[in-house]
Amino acid sequence: MTTNTVVSVNGLEKTYGKANERQYRALKDINLTVEQGEFVGIMGASGSGKTTLLNMLSTLDVPTSGDVVVNGHDVTQMRGNQLADFRAQEVGFIFQDFNLLESLTAEENIGLPLALQGTASQVMDQAIYEVAATLSISDLLQKYPSELSGGQKQRVAAARAIVHHPAILMGDEPTGALDSTSARELLDLLTTINREQAMSVLLVTHDPFSASFCQRILFIKDGEIGSELRRGDQDRREFYQEILNELGTFNE
Amino acid sequence: MLGKLALAGIKNRRRDYLVLLAGLTMSAAIFYMFANLATNQAFIKANAAIRSANIIFGFGAVLLIIITVVYLMYANSFLLSMRQHDYGLFMMLGATRKRVGQLVFLETLILGTVATAIGIGLGLLMSKFLVGFLLDLLGLHLAHLTSFYVPAILATAVLYVGLFILASVFNLFRLTRTTVLKLLHSDSEANQPQVKPGRQFIQAILGILSLAVGYWALANIKMLMISAIPVALVTITIGTYLLFKATILMVIRQLRRTAWSKKHLNGFLLGQLNFRVYNYTRMLTIVSLLFAMALGAITVGSGYHRQLPRVVDHFSGYSVALHNVSGKEEKLIDQLHVAHQATYTQKRQGKVVAYNADEFERQPFEQQRFSKNGQKLIGYDTQSLKAFKKSGIKEMDFMALALTSAGPYAPQILSASQFKQQKGTKMTVTVIRVTNFTRDMAVLKKLNKIETSRFAQPSYMTVGSYQSFEMMTGFFGGFEFIGYFLGIAFLAMLASCLMFKILSGAPGDKQRYRMLFKIGVRQSKMRQGIAKEIGILFLIPGIMGVIDVLFGLQMFKPLMASPMSPYLGIGSTFLIFIGLYVIYYFITLALYWRIVLPQATND
Repeated sequence: MTTNTVVSVNGLEKTYGKANERQYRALKDINLTVEQGEFVGIMGASGSGKTTLLNMLSTLDVPTSGDVVVNGHDVTQMRGNQLADFRAQEVGFIFQDFNLLESLTAEENIGLPLALQGTASQVMDQAIYEVAATLSISDLLQKYPSELSGGQKQRVAAARAIVHHPAILMGDEPTGALDSTSARELLDLLTTINREQAMSVLLVTHDPFSASFCQRILFIKDGEIGSELRRGDQDRREFYQEILNELGTFNE
Repeated sequence: MLGKLALAGIKNRRRDYLVLLAGLTMSAAIFYMFANLATNQAFIKANAAIRSANIIFGFGAVLLIIITVVYLMYANSFLLSMRQHDYGLFMMLGATRKRVGQLVFLETLILGTVATAIGIGLGLLMSKFLVGFLLDLLGLHLAHLTSFYVPAILATAVLYVGLFILASVFNLFRLTRTTVLKLLHSDSEANQPQVKPGRQFIQAILGILSLAVGYWALANIKMLMISAIPVALVTITIGTYLLFKATILMVIRQLRRTAWSKKHLNGFLLGQLNFRVYNYTRMLTIVSLLFAMALGAITVGSGYHRQLPRVVDHFSGYSVALHNVSGKEEKLIDQLHVAHQATYTQKRQGKVVAYNADEFERQPFEQQRFSKNGQKLIGYDTQSLKAFKKSGIKEMDFMALALTSAGPYAPQILSASQFKQQKGTKMTVTVIRVTNFTRDMAVLKKLNKIETSRFAQPSYMTVGSYQSFEMMTGFFGGFEFIGYFLGIAFLAMLASCLMFKILSGAPGDKQRYRMLFKIGVRQSKMRQGIAKEIGILFLIPGIMGVIDVLFGLQMFKPLMASPMSPYLGIGSTFLIFIGLYVIYYFITLALYWRIVLPQATND
């Protein structure tokens, strides 16, 4: 592997249920890599194992066998605090249900990853200010999540995910709870972040429109990666059509 | 079918229900124990010390009922917070409101009745063993103390079942008036308190003023008489409430602007507290008052008891008076640290007890000398024989030297020759004063036992400071007992109130900590964060309660005149009390950790 591989997964397996019970293999021999600065999508229907895969990559769940290396760290060897620290430093998350702490203002929510690392407050203010300007949420900083719309919440969540410059940004259906305008805005933002900050983005979705913003899409079905699409030089609309076609045949 | 579903729901959360049931049971048991002591007429009549404390019992009963009501309110809201999601789900699945209403009503009532029944049983056992143990510890013997007393059982059952019926009706209304969606998402709401600096400033001023009035009323109880207590109760309650409301939020707001709040989980902690404290203001106020009352009751009760040896020298000029000292007594006397000892010969004939003037010339009878205002003992005096015959002879201390069991008498001091010719039963009396009462207490006790077994005295008589001390110990021991009893009961209930209130917020917190877990907060950090958050919620009423007690003890100054003082030795009492409070904190914390902390991925 070259040094600019951010995520590398080898022979990943996940089996639920104990040995003497009925077992369910959620993931079967998954191999994939994400290069530095890549925008990769993982597509699949409900129950295909895409969220399980993301949970393995983000250390929220532990694989049964196989290796997961993220930014040079073998996450399968980590325990306890190492895992927490890894999530805090190397990964930025955007969730479908935002996962904002409603007892904190937008500013405090965004600053949380930095606060956890014990960053000096001036450095923190500067970082929050910058990321808020990038995502055009500077005027929302003093508000509480309950005062924000869904799209605004997700932008705040995105700000929190990238404020500490993680190695990779992971999104689990980040547009799932948004209306189409907000969804498009968010995806445009992710594209901008990906391009301007050269941050790798890994998106899990079942929505072809969201997927069309990616450079490369892995299709997952019944716990296995079935096929792969590359956008190449195509226009996003053309890529969208290609995805729809692929889905048409892939799901048969 | 729905009934089965509801039962299944309870089974799934049986640990939470166990906590709830245990709390309610304890509360009912405590109430029974108190009702048993307070209403048992045979017991009250048989114990003078308790009888004089009747007002305290009445006051205690009212307080206990108030706490019980508050306690049940919080327990009920904990119950509701556990169940409303399930009930919302049932309604969504098509259950009629009426049917769900019946379920709610039944569930609350059954839980309450079971808790009351077990509680009374437990109360019976506790009355039998715990109360006896407490009394033994205080060296008290109370007559007619039974553990089984029907009126007390009735009182407990009626109060508790009545309150649970009220709670059921309340739950019924609460659930049937709320929309299904709200029930389903009841956890996800968090209201942000509004901060209005101007109004808060006025609130803070009013709060401090009210507190000042309350504390002043307590300090001037001599002037205001009994009305000081209700005045103080009202003003301190209002004052504490306003002060909490105005200041805590301000402090948190200020802290959130500092650099400190941007380190680690501090910001999260402040955010949590911000909307919690606001919702908790009323409860924190009540808890701080209960804390104060519990601590106050224990402090005063044990203060009286502990400080008795300090005032014991005021009771009499001598520690013991022994008649016809035996060999065994001689040996015991040798163990004493004697400050003054004198032996006089008595001859009793009919209603006259004669003494020998010679003996008084050789060893004059020592009398207490008090300061000018008559409050402070400053030393011991003797009078010339002539003066003694005029005044000293009529003093109680001297009068008590002859045995009164043979009937009333008049003392006479005769010259040596007259005394020689005087007929009558001859006996000697030896008066002993020790230098340090506390040091020699054990020996004095033995001497007194021998003396009282040889020469019976009427029970109302006390001869020498040791006997006065024993009587007062019984009296104040009763106070101490009530103090400890009420104190521990209050403490148990207030801490459980706080516990339930905090625990009913746990389901909401569960999600928040899950979020923190996802974004990579270490388990230990989350544990610390929770410990701090709950610690502060315990600390705020604790601090306010201690302040209340420190001022409130002023109230007892007239009753505990110098050299006693309500403030003497309060450190150790405070320590014990705070120790118990801290135990409650750790129980709550452990429960909270269990409910809230997300499990780390298991390997």
